[in-house]
Amino acid sequence: MTTTALTAAQAGLVSCETCSLLSRPAGGAESGYCPRCGGELAQRHHHSIQYTWALVIAAAICYIPANVLPILTTNTLGSTESDTIMGGVVLLYRTGSWPLALIVLVASVMVPLGKLVALSYLLISVQRGSIKSNQDRTRLYRVVEFIGRWSMLDVFVATFTVALIQLQPLMSMEPAPGVLFFAAVVVLTMIAAESFDPRLIWDTPNGRQGHHG
Amino acid sequence: MADSSDSSGIQQAGIPQATVVPQRRVRISVVWIIPILAAVVAIGIAVQRIMTEGPTITIVFKAAQGLEAGKTFIKYKDVNIGQVTKVELSSDHSKVEVTAKMAKSAAGLMVEDARFWVVEARVTLSGVSGLGTLLSGNYIGFEIGKSKKEERKFTGLEVAPIITGGQPGRQFLLKAENLGSLGVGSPIYYRRLQAGQVIAYDLAGDGKAVELKIFVNAPYDKHVSPGTRFWNASGFDVSIGAGGVEVRTESLIALLAGGLAFDTPPFAATASLAAADAAFTLYPDKATAMKQPDAVSQRYVLYFNESLRGLSVGAPVTLLGLPGGEVVDVGLDLDPATATIRGRVEVVTFPERLIARMSRQQEATGDALAKSQQQRRALMERLVEQRGLRAQLQSGNLLTGQLFVALDYFPDAPKAKVDWSREVPVFPVVPSTLPDLEAKISSIVAKLEKLPLEEIGADVTKVLATLNATLENAGTALNRIDTDLTPALRTTMEELRQAVATANLLLKNVDATLMEELRQAVATANVLLKNTDATLLGKDAPAQQELRDALQEIAAAARSVRVLADYLDRHPEALIRGKSEDRP
Repeated sequence: MTTTALTAAQAGLVSCETCSLLSRPAGGAESGYCPRCGGELAQRHHHSIQYTWALVIAAAICYIPANVLPILTTNTLGSTESDTIMGGVVLLYRTGSWPLALIVLVASVMVPLGKLVALSYLLISVQRGSIKSNQDRTRLYRVVEFIGRWSMLDVFVATFTVALIQLQPLMSMEPAPGVLFFAAVVVLTMIAAESFDPRLIWDTPNGRQGHHG
Repeated sequence: MADSSDSSGIQQAGIPQATVVPQRRVRISVVWIIPILAAVVAIGIAVQRIMTEGPTITIVFKAAQGLEAGKTFIKYKDVNIGQVTKVELSSDHSKVEVTAKMAKSAAGLMVEDARFWVVEARVTLSGVSGLGTLLSGNYIGFEIGKSKKEERKFTGLEVAPIITGGQPGRQFLLKAENLGSLGVGSPIYYRRLQAGQVIAYDLAGDGKAVELKIFVNAPYDKHVSPGTRFWNASGFDVSIGAGGVEVRTESLIALLAGGLAFDTPPFAATASLAAADAAFTLYPDKATAMKQPDAVSQRYVLYFNESLRGLSVGAPVTLLGLPGGEVVDVGLDLDPATATIRGRVEVVTFPERLIARMSRQQEATGDALAKSQQQRRALMERLVEQRGLRAQLQSGNLLTGQLFVALDYFPDAPKAKVDWSREVPVFPVVPSTLPDLEAKISSIVAKLEKLPLEEIGADVTKVLATLNATLENAGTALNRIDTDLTPALRTTMEELRQAVATANLLLKNVDATLMEELRQAVATANVLLKNTDATLLGKDAPAQQELRDALQEIAAAARSVRVLADYLDRHPEALIRGKSEDRP
């Protein structure tokens, strides 16, 4: 497929996002419902770009406290220790388990950041009406969407640890505010990726009207 | 959303067409609440953080001593008031700079004289502390300061301060010649109760003394008056002097860990309290500390022509056996008159000590003596010139050979005077009797060695053999006498009885005439005996002295003979074979 290929929107058609059935849109403001599966049809998501931007920005804001604030507080025999994500990575690396450190670094620091960057890039390129390397951008979007479901791993680990390690008074762990922000980053980026309409990538500047705010 | 509005040209010239501003439909979605909310929360947290943030301080330690960034807390009364955020070397690598973030509530405590130190487990002889740090790791202790001036850079103490603020009591300064076995935390005893501790020590400015800072706890500090004496109660003190061996200790802890003690001697007791931070002298032992200061002293030089071995500085000087001074210097002197070297002993006497021993009735005389040097000199001159008071080296302890200087009367000593003309008066001396005694003993030993014991043994054997033969002869002779002489003896006895009876008769006649003459003779004899008594038995009679000497000699001889007899008893064969000690 080339970037110059005809899109459904250009042809005045709309495809169902659920069952991919190509149909003629109902007249008026609404595109109507899919005649086959009953899913709501939309030529492009309403305010997709605006929604995505808002969520990406919110995620970016949350990303800072998620990394600066400690995510876990460990009490060991009277000494309290608070660890941030990066602190944990450094600790793992220092204690010699660099593969683990790498996993945490990639999963908890680089992936959320990568998602934010990727989504921002997609949004900007769509807004500028770029038609270059559409395929690559689609692939990027798929990766972002795929990774999303794995990003909560950290939060789960933290939750389990807190629940399991309660050996009062020897040792106990408590969630710190950082974990809340981290969860917010993950959730927000997932919703952002969801609200982004990948079909916008294929729209040429002329062929796109009134679908983004 | 740009509508393509028709700018439909300019029709009627001159009248401008109102421009239509394209209506931009700006619809801000509700979704923007999410980032705004996130921003508000994040900013809120940031503001709260900044608001609750206390000051950041730097503490300089000599070593990190187990401090870790993010793990070590600063505690005051066991409450966390801060946390170490960074531990790094100072720029010149000589020290460790510890950066800590304090709690906002502790901001007011960071004043100039606040103190920080590392609390770690400590096991010393006087106690165990900081055991909790074995599990939780070391932490930084904090002690509040009194200053009002805020400060952000501190120098950590190397050891925990013993006395924390607000503890009632007072601090004093002690000056000592050396530290001995004392250290920070060494106990201070008052009547064997622990009354305080050493809190710091340092070398005095000129490096010639040690200054100890001590803290005496509240109930006891009121017993510290300006006249109080402090002494070192460290370990146990063994002193071997002319007085023998003396061992002293204050308590078992002091014995192991060192300690101090204080008391106020009765003569220095005052009602006033010593000012805080007052300086005291630390005496090496209790005896020195509690000694009354001798206001009056008199020095003398003694020149001895004998060995001074065993005479040490500090040895007592006694007058008639009572201590009244001490030796202050033992040295040599070149006598210009005879160009010989002689021993020079300088002593100091404390007349007050001797005067204090005078009886109550003579108190007035004593006081007068104590006050007037003139009177003391006159008395001393009289004693020396008329009674023969002399200094003599005497042995205080035969075992250790310690000598002391004794002032005793030697009426027979050659005339001498105290030489007051010298800077330090020269006191006349008499040679020690000790060398005489030694010489005598050695001559006796020499004589004993010269005894021809073997020859004597041989002679005794011969004599015994002869004696045996003689006894046999005597036995036969006696037998003969028994048979031959008995009848003759009987007749002689009879004659004798008659003679006695005759004499009895005769005496009765003589009795009357002779009685008178006899009485006269007895009277004469009486007079004669009285004279004899005076010469022979009177006090200091030379005959008596000689007799005593003779008796001693006899006793010595008897002892020797007993020894010989004992020897012979055990080794009778020695009589024949001689002494057996060389035999294998």
